[in-house]
Amino acid sequence: MEQAEQYKAVMAEIIAKQSIILGPDMAIARAKKVSGIGVNEKGEITEVSGDPAEALKNLIDTYVELSGQIVKNALGPIFTKYPDIKQ
Amino acid sequence: MVPRELLPIIVVLITLYLVVIAFSYWGVHRIKRGVYAKDTEIKRRLYELAILKEIADRTVYSLNIKKILDVIVGSLNQFLEYSVVSYMLLEPSKVVFKADLERSVSISFIKDIRTRMLGSLSALLGRDLSAVEVEETITGAIMMGVTEEPVRSYFNIPLVIGDQLVGVLTVSHTKAGLYKESEMEILYKIVNQASQAVSKLEDVVKTEQGKIAAMLESMLEGVVMTDLDYRVIAANPAAEAVIGYKGEGVPTIFNFIDAFNESLDIRSKLEEAIKLDKVLTINEVIFNNKYYQVVVSPVKSNIGLTRGQTLGGVIILHDVTHEKEAEKMRNDFTSMIVHELRSPLGNIKKIGEMMRSSKILEDKQASSEYVSMLYESSSSMLDLVNDLLDVAKLEAGKFSVEKSSVDIKEILSERMKFFEATARDAGINMNLIVAEGVPNSVSVDAKRITQVLNNLFSNALIYTLKGGTVTAICFLHKKGQTISDEALAVSAPWVSDSMSLDTTILPDSVVVAVTDTGEGITSENIEKLFNKFTQFASSTRDSEHKGTGLGLVIVKGIIDAHGGVVGVGSKLKSGSTFYFTIPL
Repeated sequence: MEQAEQYKAVMAEIIAKQSIILGPDMAIARAKKVSGIGVNEKGEITEVSGDPAEALKNLIDTYVELSGQIVKNALGPIFTKYPDIKQ
Repeated sequence: MVPRELLPIIVVLITLYLVVIAFSYWGVHRIKRGVYAKDTEIKRRLYELAILKEIADRTVYSLNIKKILDVIVGSLNQFLEYSVVSYMLLEPSKVVFKADLERSVSISFIKDIRTRMLGSLSALLGRDLSAVEVEETITGAIMMGVTEEPVRSYFNIPLVIGDQLVGVLTVSHTKAGLYKESEMEILYKIVNQASQAVSKLEDVVKTEQGKIAAMLESMLEGVVMTDLDYRVIAANPAAEAVIGYKGEGVPTIFNFIDAFNESLDIRSKLEEAIKLDKVLTINEVIFNNKYYQVVVSPVKSNIGLTRGQTLGGVIILHDVTHEKEAEKMRNDFTSMIVHELRSPLGNIKKIGEMMRSSKILEDKQASSEYVSMLYESSSSMLDLVNDLLDVAKLEAGKFSVEKSSVDIKEILSERMKFFEATARDAGINMNLIVAEGVPNSVSVDAKRITQVLNNLFSNALIYTLKGGTVTAICFLHKKGQTISDEALAVSAPWVSDSMSLDTTILPDSVVVAVTDTGEGITSENIEKLFNKFTQFASSTRDSEHKGTGLGLVIVKGIIDAHGGVVGVGSKLKSGSTFYFTIPL
């Protein structure tokens, strides 16, 4: 898979996981505010503009800002599936 | 009729009027909206402040996250619209689920919420909780089977205390798309602040508990604390060591009851102490060949609303074995002194009785013998009393020596001659080795040094068998050299086994030593030689060589007063060397 696609997949999985943890309303609302990505109502990534690594970091940070480090820890299994992408 | 030429002006004016009206309406509406938004914002802020104050008030005395959540749940309807607000808390063996229904919902709604909350916790923990026991409590509106409205809006807030996930709070509704991000964020903020408050309080409590635990752990006494149901809350390592507990976690009261079994009924004592509200002291509990003083006391709260209330009990196990041993040694010592005095006193009494008979007095030879015996017995008693007085002075730090310049070689030689007769009678050879360079004048208390030599010669002769040799040695010690090497250099018989003192650091001194070829002393007994009580214990085992054992204690005291040291080397079946130094 192309790296840009991998980033999109990781970000989509993160939003999906946060939807389970926080509920879809909150998870998607937060994701929509992240600069550099476009997110639809289903929580899917519609576009990535600029540096995808930066967008991924911003996405994680937005959830950490809300609920603390514990939500970041829960993302570990996602990153093990994408070894080329740094957390 | 309006003139035609005025019509456009009228139209323009009407249009302007309408525009002004429209703008005014729009402006008023905008202001209204602003006021409404501000009003809503103020309401939110007030709610936020009120709930945070209530949480702060509660957390001052409560670490219970459940109580904090109940505060949030109980007042949430002032700020948010919801069907159900629920929380789930993780406990070691189960999950506590509480749902408060603002309006009637179906059983499947509750089931759905519960599943979603378990899913949230599972995702956060990285393990499946679907099979965990859930303790459920539903409050508020009644559940209706006919209402089948599903969950259409919800959000979860993870509950974290001190970096540990403790549960999740969930707000849910049957209406779709109900919650705005700003509203959800306020609740997140409230919950996070509550979590931080509890975390901080927990940190304080943990620090204080850590201090108490460290104090308990460092205590030599065994300490066991119980609650009112006699469950052990804390037991320090010393208490665990007393009962030989090596299990995981805190021992139970049954571990202590079983261990003390017939020695002490711990539980009854605890019950008694708590019931009578007094401290009980059991002075002598023998357990595992050790003596314990056991103190059992009720524990009372001295703070807050529970002040004065009994919280449980404490057991303190104080090992008094050493005190008991010391007491026994003191008693044995007293018995020995009494015994040593009784023997010559008995002799004096018997001689006195015999001398009352005129017949004995007429026999001059017999009278002379009895007078000699009286002299020996009274001298023996006087020696013992003098020894006791010397030891008493040493212990009181009042022992002093009167130094003058004397020839120590002469004192040594004179003492040799004094003991030669005794040695000859016992079939023991006596030698004297005096090395070159020993000064003719050394500053010592001649009387006390004579006392030291008397002790060393007398001991050497007592413990040397017939045919053996006792050698007196006198040589110079130079700082930086070992006394053993210096002794060997002058070809003196020297037993260096068990000598532990580093003699190289000693200043230039005269060394006087007595080496025998006697039975020797074990290294264990060498350590006891200069102890008033323990020396006695070793002497009494040897019925052949009776004595108070005070001699060497006094020798050490005299040499210490001269600024010198006393040393011993010994090898079993080979002999011993006792030496002392007098700094020049």
